[in-house]
Amino acid sequence: MRYSPSFNRSSGLVPALVSVVALAVLPFLAGSNYLNHLLVLTFIFAIVAASWDLSLGFGGLFNFAHVALFAVGIYAYGVVARTLGLSPWLGLLAAGGSAGLIAALITLPIMRLSGIYIILVTIAASQVLYQIVISQSQITGGTSGMVSLPGLELFGYRMSRDGKIGYYYLALTLLIGSTVLLYKITRSRWGRAIVAMRDNKYYAVSRGMSETRIRLYTLTVSAAISGVAGGLYGSYMRVASPDNFGLGLLGLLLSMLLLGGAGTIWGPILAAFFVTMVSEALADYGAWRNIIMSLLLIVILVFYPGGLWALVQTAREGFDVFRTQALARFRRRTGKTAREALTGASERMVETRHGRIAVADSGGAKPALLLIHGNSSAKEAFSAQFKAFSDRYRVISFDLPGHGVSDNADPDRDYSVEAFADVAEDVLKALAVSHPSVFGWSLGGYIAIELAARGNPINALAISGTPPLRLVPEDVGKAYDATSHFVLASKRFLSAAEARDFATSTTGAKDPRTAHLHAAVSRTDGRARAYALGKLQIVDWPRQMRFLRTASVPFAILNGAQDPFLNHQYFRDLKLTQWTDEPADIADAGHAPFLLAADAFNAKLAAFFDSIQNKRSDGEPAPRTISA
Amino acid sequence: MTLDTIALILLGGVVLGALYALMATGLALVWTTLGIFNFAHGTFIALGAYIAWQIASTDAFGAGFVVGSLVSVIGMFLIGTAVYYLLIKPFERSPDIVVKSVITTLAGATILENLINIAWGPRNKQLGAVLTGDIQIIGLVISRNEAAAVAVSLLILAALGIFLQRAPLGRAMRAVAQNREAAQLMGIDVVRLYAVAFGLSAALAAIAGILIGSIRFMNPLMGSDPLMKALIVVIFGGIARFTGPIYAAFIVGLLEAFMTYAVGLYWSPTVLFVIMIVVLVAKPEGLFGKHRKSV
Repeated sequence: MRYSPSFNRSSGLVPALVSVVALAVLPFLAGSNYLNHLLVLTFIFAIVAASWDLSLGFGGLFNFAHVALFAVGIYAYGVVARTLGLSPWLGLLAAGGSAGLIAALITLPIMRLSGIYIILVTIAASQVLYQIVISQSQITGGTSGMVSLPGLELFGYRMSRDGKIGYYYLALTLLIGSTVLLYKITRSRWGRAIVAMRDNKYYAVSRGMSETRIRLYTLTVSAAISGVAGGLYGSYMRVASPDNFGLGLLGLLLSMLLLGGAGTIWGPILAAFFVTMVSEALADYGAWRNIIMSLLLIVILVFYPGGLWALVQTAREGFDVFRTQALARFRRRTGKTAREALTGASERMVETRHGRIAVADSGGAKPALLLIHGNSSAKEAFSAQFKAFSDRYRVISFDLPGHGVSDNADPDRDYSVEAFADVAEDVLKALAVSHPSVFGWSLGGYIAIELAARGNPINALAISGTPPLRLVPEDVGKAYDATSHFVLASKRFLSAAEARDFATSTTGAKDPRTAHLHAAVSRTDGRARAYALGKLQIVDWPRQMRFLRTASVPFAILNGAQDPFLNHQYFRDLKLTQWTDEPADIADAGHAPFLLAADAFNAKLAAFFDSIQNKRSDGEPAPRTISA
Repeated sequence: MTLDTIALILLGGVVLGALYALMATGLALVWTTLGIFNFAHGTFIALGAYIAWQIASTDAFGAGFVVGSLVSVIGMFLIGTAVYYLLIKPFERSPDIVVKSVITTLAGATILENLINIAWGPRNKQLGAVLTGDIQIIGLVISRNEAAAVAVSLLILAALGIFLQRAPLGRAMRAVAQNREAAQLMGIDVVRLYAVAFGLSAALAAIAGILIGSIRFMNPLMGSDPLMKALIVVIFGGIARFTGPIYAAFIVGLLEAFMTYAVGLYWSPTVLFVIMIVVLVAKPEGLFGKHRKSV
C-alpha cells in the first residue's frame, strides 16, 4: 500500500528545520576557524556517505568504487581548475560529470553480477582508477598528487576568507541540496523501483522494470553527487592526493554509512557528524585514534546493528511512551469533570489483567450496554449514546490500554485484540455486569466479536466500521478500501499533520463535537496502534466467523454509508444472518456514524434492541450462548 | 628479448607465483567456507612476519628462524580464530553479513596495522636470508633463499591439499563449503569449523609473510599490495576447487613478471585489474571453476 506524505506533513519536518537553522547560525554564535573547518569536512563526508546510501542501502548494490569516484571528483576538479586553467566552478561540474560517467562505465561489467562479486569488481575498478592516476604523473602528479589547486571565488570574494565562512555555507548548501535530491529520488517512481529491485528482483523485473537501467541510474546518480562533493573537497583542501583512493577513506565513509544505518539517508548524515567529532576528539592519540575508532565501530555493529538511526528511533519511542503516559496521567486528574460532563456517567479506574483501565459507568439497575471504542480513540466517542441510552440502559464504556486516560501497558502482552477482549471481560466482572448488549466500533468491533465468540453471555451484538474477517491478511484487502490513511492506523509515530488526518478520516473534521477525539489520537500510545494491528493475524478469525454464522446472538451491522475505509460490497457478500438482511447503513455518515449522525444511529440501534425485545416477548427462545 | 631475459622473467614469475599461491589459498579458504571476503588477510601477512621477526631476529629475542616461524604460525592461527569469533561470528545470522564483514574486517585490519605500528614502528625491517648463495637449476641461476621459498610454498600447499582431501577435519571443511545445512545435519560443528578455517587461513598468511620477510623487506603496510594480488588470483582461479587459485597464482605471477617487462611497473597492475574484471564478467566462477559458489 502506498503511503507517502509530503515532507512538510511528516514528523521529520521540525527536526530537519531546526538542524538546518542551527547549522546556519552556528558560525555567528560559536564560529571559529577550526570548528568551521571540521564542519566543512563533515558536510562533505555526509554528502558522500548519504549518496552512497542510495546505491548500497536502497539499491543493495555494494559499490565499493564510490569513494574512488569521490577521488575522481577531486582529480577532475584539479585538472579543470589548475591544469586547464578553467573556472573552478566549472571544475565542480566536471567533478560530478566525470564521476557519474566513470560510474556508468563501472556499471557495465557488474550488470550481470550480484553480492560479493560486485564488491570485488568495484574494488578492482577503484584500483584501476588509482593505478591510472598514479601512472599519469605528468597530469596528476603521480604518487605525490596535485598541490596548490585554485580555490573557489564568488564575485572576487575568496571562499576561504573570514574563517572559511564561504566554504561553510557552500558545503552546507550542497549538503541540503543533495539531501533534498536523495529524498526526492527515494520517494519517486525510480526510488521505488530501486528498492523493489533490491527486495525482489524477479518480481520487479516481471512488473516491467529494467534492472540494467535501474542499476545504471542508481550508480550514476549517486556517483555524480559524490563527485561534486569530491570537487568541493579538492577546492577546499587545495590538494588532490592518491591516498583518497585507498582503503582508509573507504573504511571511514563505510563506517559512517553503517554506523548511521543503511537505507535511511538521514542515518549516514548523522553518523558523519558523530564520526568526525569523535575522531577529532581523539586527535591527540596518534595511532591509538584509529584503533579506538575501529573498536567503536565493531562494538556498535555487534551490539547495536541498527546504528545511530535505530538509536534515534528508540529514543523517539521512549519519549513518545513517556509523553503519552504523562498526558494520560495529567488528563486523568484535570479533565475528569469535563469528561463526565460529556458522558453524564461517572468515571472510575478498574484494575484488569492488562493494567489500570478508566471506565465510564452510568450506573443503575438496568440492562447493561457496553460500548467499545476503536483504534486511537477514547470512551468519550460515545457521549451521544450515553445521553440517549442511559435512561433505559446502564451504559458502560472504557478506555483501551494505551488509550484515553487508561495507563500505557506492555506492548507485547497488552496490545492485541485478545488482550483488549480480556480487558472487556475484566471490566464487566469488576462492575458485576452480566448479559450486556455490546456495541463495538472499528477495532472495538473485533473486540466485541471476540468477547462474544469466547462464550461470554451477551444479549445482543452490534458493530460499526468492522468488516468481519475470515482470513488475515487475505481478507483485509477485500474488506477495506485501501486509502493512504489506512496506513496511519498502524503507524507508530504520527506527526501532527498525520494525527489530524487520521482523526479527520476516522471521526470527522475538527469541530466542537470531535475535538476531544482529535486530542485522543495524539494521546494514544503509538505502540498500541502498531502492535494491535500488527497482531491481527494471531486472532482466531475462524472462531469469530463460526460464531457469527451460528447466529446464536442477535447481530447487527450499523455502518456509515459513506465510510471511506470499507468495501461495502464485502459486507453484502458475507451474507451473515443479521437483524436486517442487508447491513443497516446509516445514510450520509462516515466511519463514526454514532458521532456525527448520532440521532439516526441511536434510532437504528434502539430499533435493533427493540426488535430483540419483541422477539423475546413473542415467545421465541432466548438466544443460547455457545461455548468456544 | 634474449633467452636469458626470458629465463629471468620466468624465474621471477615462479617466485611471485608461489607467494601468491600461498596468500590466495588462505584467502580462498575463508571465502569458500564462510562466503565472505577477509580484508584483514593482508594485515595477517604483516603481523605473521613481525611476530616471526620478534622471536627470530638477533635484534629482538634471537631464538632463531625456525622457532620464530613456528611461534608465528601457531600464534597467527590463534589470532585468526579470535578474529573470527570477534568480528565475523556476531553477524552469522545477519542477512547483510557480506557487507558487514567487509567493514569489520577492514576495522580489524586497521586495528592490527596500527598495533604493529605502535609495537614495531613504521621503518623497514628484514628477517634476513635463511640460506645464502645461489644454486643452478637446469642452467638457471637462482638464490637458494628464493628456491627454498618456492619449495616451502609448494610443500605447504601440498600438505594443505592432502589435509583437505584426506583428513576428517579437512573433509568436514569441504563439506561445509559445499552445503552448510547438510553438513550441519551430519553433525558437523559449523561454528568451530569456521573458526578453524579462519585460523588456518591466518596461519597460511603468516607463512607467506615470513617468506616475504626473508626475501624482501617488511613494514606495517607490506600486506596491502599482496592482498590486492591475492584478490585477483582468487577471482582468476575461482574457488570451486582447491587447486584453482594455485594455478591462477602462477599464471598471475608470470603475467606480472612479463608485464612489468613489457608495459612497465606502473601499468602492469592496471592491466591485471582489467583482466580480472574481464574474467569476472565473462566467467564469474573463475577460469578453473565449474559452478559458482553462491553468496
